[in-house]
Amino acid sequence: MAECIVVTSGKGGVGKTTTSANLAAGIALSGKTVAVVDADIGLRNLDVVLGLENRIVYDLVQVVEGECRLKQALIRDKRVEGLFLLPAAQTRDKQSVSPDDMRRLVKDLKEMHDYVIIDCPAGIEQGFKNSVAGADRAIVVTTPEVSAIRDADRIIGLVEAHELPEPQLIINRYQTAMVERGDMMNREDILEILAIPLIGIVPDHSDIIVSTNRGQPVVFDEKSPVGQAYRRITDRVMGLEVEIPEFDTNQSVWSMFKRWMGLQPAREVV
Amino acid sequence: MRALFTKLQMALGSAPQSSKDEAKQRLKLLLIHDQINLTPAQLERMKGEILEVITQYCEVEDAEQVEFKLNRMESSVVLHSLIPVRRVTARA
Ligand SMILES: Nc1ncnc2c1ncn2[C@@H]1O[C@H](COP(=O)(O)OP(=O)(O)OP(=O)(O)O)[C@@H](O)[C@H]1O
Ligand SMILES: [Mg+2]
Repeated sequence: MAECIVVTSGKGGVGKTTTSANLAAGIALSGKTVAVVDADIGLRNLDVVLGLENRIVYDLVQVVEGECRLKQALIRDKRVEGLFLLPAAQTRDKQSVSPDDMRRLVKDLKEMHDYVIIDCPAGIEQGFKNSVAGADRAIVVTTPEVSAIRDADRIIGLVEAHELPEPQLIINRYQTAMVERGDMMNREDILEILAIPLIGIVPDHSDIIVSTNRGQPVVFDEKSPVGQAYRRITDRVMGLEVEIPEFDTNQSVWSMFKRWMGLQPAREVV
Repeated sequence: MRALFTKLQMALGSAPQSSKDEAKQRLKLLLIHDQINLTPAQLERMKGEILEVITQYCEVEDAEQVEFKLNRMESSVVLHSLIPVRRVTARA
């Protein structure tokens, strides 16, 4: 049975598009087929993050309005088998699509693919309602900041109000050194507040910017720690049990002492 | 070195609270505010009902001066009320 997952956050700029691109690419790398839908109508970005911007012919609104067939609008990624993008319209607004349109669209996409990932726009208005309409479950992305977590809490409530199951959480832009200094909320702090299951932590890392510059999702890079984090997240999303490891297991008294002194930051693998 | 200094300060009980703890406490308060989402009319009604109970036991100075506020204490959020009382009227 195919599954549709919406990636949402409430607050803008916390990493929904980056997550959607890497999750979709990761699923395709695992040998499943996946369609990733840019639901941010009027502000499309997913095509750029995936490096597929030059291949757009038709968009989501044209499919919904019957100007083209769904198959014509789907862009097949040539780097990996099974990855397809449905781009958003750039010159239309969110009102051009209704939740019912999205439900029909997702149903059709689910007949053609194992997974459908929806990149939700920021906010709680029409774009959000459209994005959750056809979804079977949601992943909420937040950063370890007060405003992002506040909005995540709001979105979790709205996801449940739309009768989706309890969403799962990705903490993005995690900085272990800041957590060690007590200047960033750690995973326990955030989970205590949001009280939903964690599905992954993505470090704040320059590889994300480099990969976006190139239009190459970082999940393709096996050596990158962020790429590896996204591979583990992909596995968990696909239902595999993969640990979200705790701090480095180096428990010698000396290293614990140095850590306590702040001389040696604990390395966290996420 | 700064981390070491902060740890020592914390051990001596003089360190300022870490910024993440401050963030967490602010968030908790914020979320309760967001979730309670009482309208001003509801808040007034709650005030009225609480006062009604209080006045069965105490004489309240001036109902206009009564205040209700959500505040954070340590790691929890508390409803603080400030009710100026003239005298206790209830008998044991
Ligand atoms: N883990 C990370 N490390 C470093 N930079 C990151 C990370 N995640 C996201 N970014 C950067 O943050 C910016 C916003 O990311 P992204 O576009 O994925 O967010 P979004 O939630 O989709 O935003 P919007 O709400 O506008 O759609 C981008 O420039 C991206 O490169
Ligand atoms: Mg986006």
